Amino acid sequence: MAPNPPVYYDTVSETTTRPGTLVGMKRLWTPGWIVRHAAMVVLVVAFLALGWWQVSRAAAGNAISWGYAIEWPVFAGFVVFVWWREVRQTLRAPSADDAPATAPARPAASDPATATRAEVRRPVRASRVPAATAGPDDPDLAEYNRYLRWLNDNPGARPGDYPG
Amino acid sequence: MGAALTRYRVIAWIVGVALILLVVIGMPLKYGFDNPVLVETVGQAHGFLYMLYLVAAFDLARRAGWPLKRMILVMLAGTVPFVSFYAERRVSAWVTAVRPEPAPEPVAPR
Repeated sequence: MAPNPPVYYDTVSETTTRPGTLVGMKRLWTPGWIVRHAAMVVLVVAFLALGWWQVSRAAAGNAISWGYAIEWPVFAGFVVFVWWREVRQTLRAPSADDAPATAPARPAASDPATATRAEVRRPVRASRVPAATAGPDDPDLAEYNRYLRWLNDNPGARPGDYPG
Repeated sequence: MGAALTRYRVIAWIVGVALILLVVIGMPLKYGFDNPVLVETVGQAHGFLYMLYLVAAFDLARRAGWPLKRMILVMLAGTVPFVSFYAERRVSAWVTAVRPEPAPEPVAPR
């Protein structure tokens, strides 16, 4: 086994825009997103209105409307849920405009002191590389490793978001 | 992924059949022959089953990494009689087509 396996530092979590800042919020004000916000509001208002209409029908004696009066608010809630999930995902994704800005920020290596200082970064998270040799062929272990790799590749993601 | 697809297909088929019962048999019975019993029973059931359909479609879309537009289209397809069956076939083809099973990654025994 190699004495010093290569260690890769995760710099993504240091450079992405933090979710919740106003810079991140700007991503939710593109034309596509304005359409989505408007569609969400229209659908929720329409579904709640339909639910209220069914409540009034039920109160007027149409017993079957009680069921529909429950269904429409649930659909409205589902719209809000999907909208909120899209918002979260958009804010969580690394933004395209800050990635190139941070990459060439490294100073020239003419001065050795600054060069060394620039090279040393705070170690955030090290990703392990899988060994090249074929180990025991355990599908559960491989699946678990895939899951851990996914968690490492997606900082900020919750385990429940794992697509596997 | 396979289980999510199966869940989606089962509920899509049930919702599709309920919708056809409702539109092809229930509505003529109610408005043509004044017999609303099928609309009242199947209609209620269809509404709640469609919620399950939405959840299953959402779950599958999340796992398959679909864009929002495709997810919404699949969800809306469940509301159109007969089209829901076609949508279910298309979805199955999509999901099974883009699945190259990744090779297992063994780790070194320490």
